[in-house]
Amino acid sequence: MDLVRIDAVHKHFGSNHVLKGIDLRIGAGEVVAIIGRSGSGKSTLLRSINGLESIDDGQIEVDGEKLTAGQTDLRALRQKVGMVFQQFNLFPHLKVGENVMLAPQVVKKMSRADCEPIAKAMLAKVGLAEKFDAYPDQLSGGQQQRVAIARALAMQPKVMLCDEITSALDPELVNEVLAVVKQLAVEGMTLIMVTHEMRFARDVGNKLVFMYQGKVHESGDPKELFANPQTPELQSFIGAIN
Amino acid sequence: MMTEFTLWDIIRNLITGLEWTVGLSLTAFLLGGAVGLLVLTARIGRFPWLQKAMKGYIELFQGTPLLMQLFLVFFGISLMGIDVPAWLAAAIGLTLFTSAYLAEIWRGCVEAIPKGQWEASSSLAMSWVEQMRYVVLPQALRIAIAPTVGFSVQVVKGTSVASIIGFAELTKTGGMLANATFKPFLVFGLVAVGYFILCYPLSHFAMRLERKYRGSSSH
Repeated sequence: MDLVRIDAVHKHFGSNHVLKGIDLRIGAGEVVAIIGRSGSGKSTLLRSINGLESIDDGQIEVDGEKLTAGQTDLRALRQKVGMVFQQFNLFPHLKVGENVMLAPQVVKKMSRADCEPIAKAMLAKVGLAEKFDAYPDQLSGGQQQRVAIARALAMQPKVMLCDEITSALDPELVNEVLAVVKQLAVEGMTLIMVTHEMRFARDVGNKLVFMYQGKVHESGDPKELFANPQTPELQSFIGAIN
Repeated sequence: MMTEFTLWDIIRNLITGLEWTVGLSLTAFLLGGAVGLLVLTARIGRFPWLQKAMKGYIELFQGTPLLMQLFLVFFGISLMGIDVPAWLAAAIGLTLFTSAYLAEIWRGCVEAIPKGQWEASSSLAMSWVEQMRYVVLPQALRIAIAPTVGFSVQVVKGTSVASIIGFAELTKTGGMLANATFKPFLVFGLVAVGYFILCYPLSHFAMRLERKYRGSSSH
């Protein structure tokens, strides 16, 4: 049973056709890494899964919630899809715990008393239980990104989208974030990530999607694809980053 | 018959005028703030025709002199057969003027909030109203305080225009006293001191707030 179904999705930015008919099936518990050059449409594809980018044609379905062109009511879908961003995007005026509790309180109408144990558990999961009362700007980049992961998890999503979540981090902080993501993968969370961490994509991912000029150019088992790229474009992409 | 005005008589009368200036300023600022909040909501809201209408409203008040606005309110309402007292016309005119400027100042503050804040709260399934209420406005408010207090100085000085439609605030009182005492320099000097006493603490306060929020962290 597929958790995420993407069918014939098209997207234009003005005259620029950025997604040219994307079809993708993602099963529950799969860890999907989307790679490709900048401008290949990988980020746009990821952002269209929770409606941050509208699509012009086709359909996306996540756990029974459908998204089509022109749709504006995204509340049900977005409750099933968590997202973590390159720039963390924590709410700077709220403490760490409040960041994590805000959406459950506001969107799910849970009481603070009910949210607090969930928030504490999620922060413990990312190793930051003791930062509950800190403000985001008192944390390192890696810690902030882990809070962002806890914030997304607190909504108990079915899928997590990760948009280059280690790209804004200092090199020494990348691993603490990747370790958290790896733990999520081990626990069976469905993950779709746009990433430049090729080693991580190969070791932790169980599906690799190579985007090229707005299409899925090649996809399959990461280890196999990295070892035997079938298309010259993927060959040169892998060659360029190694 | 000639009445002699002592310095104390002049000051006493000016203080009464000053009180009306303060009253008019407060009224315009508070009501203008309330109306401005509505204008702001419509200006940045999701209905394109309302956005356009509010853009027009703001441009109208920013693009015409306050004096003309007061004339239009004062004489415009009389034209409809309703007799408006000067204080009411002044309060209405200044309220509209203030609402347009505050809405525009606040819009800038809302737009200064990074796009990532909207995206993060969107991805957490929050609605537009929830995003505004819990994420964007609390942050925008912080950066809006200093320019808002700064603008209050403009409102105080703007009230002097109400003298032209006959409202006896500080400037009008000064004009009457100058005519009666033949000491315009003294009287208007004191009028200026009166405005300064009101405005200096406000602009000083605004500067301090600005430094505070520029320098420190965002919570």
